[in-house]
Amino acid sequence: MDKGMSILVVDDFPTMRRIVRSLLKELGFTNVEEAEDGQEALGKLKSGDFEFVVSDWNMPNLDGLEMLKQIRADEAMKALPVLMVTAEAKKENIVAAAQAGANGYIVKPFTAATLEEKLNKIFEKLGK
Amino acid sequence: MSGEARQVAAHEGAHGDDLVVRIGQLTRMLRESMRELGLDKEVEKAAEAIPDARARLNYVASMTEQAADRALNAVDRAQPLQNEIESRAESLDQQWQTWFENPMELDQARQLVTDTRGYLAAVPEMARETSKELLEIMMAQDFQDLTGQVIKKMMAVILEVENQLLQVLLESVPDGEERDAMKRRMESAGGATRQEAGLVNGPQINAEGEDIVSNQDQVDSLLDELGF
Repeated sequence: MDKGMSILVVDDFPTMRRIVRSLLKELGFTNVEEAEDGQEALGKLKSGDFEFVVSDWNMPNLDGLEMLKQIRADEAMKALPVLMVTAEAKKENIVAAAQAGANGYIVKPFTAATLEEKLNKIFEKLGK
Repeated sequence: MSGEARQVAAHEGAHGDDLVVRIGQLTRMLRESMRELGLDKEVEKAAEAIPDARARLNYVASMTEQAADRALNAVDRAQPLQNEIESRAESLDQQWQTWFENPMELDQARQLVTDTRGYLAAVPEMARETSKELLEIMMAQDFQDLTGQVIKKMMAVILEVENQLLQVLLESVPDGEERDAMKRRMESAGGATRQEAGLVNGPQINAEGEDIVSNQDQVDSLLDELGF
């Protein structure tokens, strides 16, 4: 698994983006960029070369679920791994995310250990 | 109140109680108009929103308190480690200084060397512990995202309440200049976007409830069920 892989972190709260970025750095992933909503994220994903997305759900302009659906509907991006990290904690949320094609789901507040575990699980499944 | 007012007037005669009767009649008229316009429901909803706002504020207060505790506890644990690293290094440094000025017997030097090696072996562990506490302090800042979401939601609720109350007020003002001025003020303040997207609720303030998943373990077991 290539720790140089480019990761896009999407969340409308700068503090959360910063925390996720720091945690990824602790795990050895330093090639991280940020977006503050689904709209901006899609723009960056379409023009950039990202290999992983960590995204919040509740965001203005385009929320995480809608962004995920659009990623899965796009020929070039449909296989992009997406890990949801969100405060949305109803069963219907998890079901909706799973059905829309999320690779993992972390509920806030979360621990560094949880993020590491879920990332590894996704990499394992993708055979990376 | 209007019924009582009428009784009072009937018992005590018309004079000073004329005013009371008139107030009673106006009140009754206002309530009937509100009912006809469906505005009493709006006021009810506004009143119901208050406990909701209180619960949210409670959540914000307790989240921030927990975060502060977490950070301060981490500082309490890290401080002694840093102090120890500092004081032991200083003491050893002094002993080496003394030795350089006045080279001593081999046995005593051996002790100093052993102590110094012991210190060097201990530092990485203490540094790791401190790093752990720093990580803990960083993670404790996650409250800001959660409280921020709740506050945003609360502002939307308050905006809605304000709109409803203004609506009621507007309806009670007779047509004319005053009403038009109020209407303009309302419109410029911007109507609340009643975005009741069912899936976007923000952090759960009350973790009880059948359809709420309160921690990562529950999330994981649900994901397992779904084949993830």
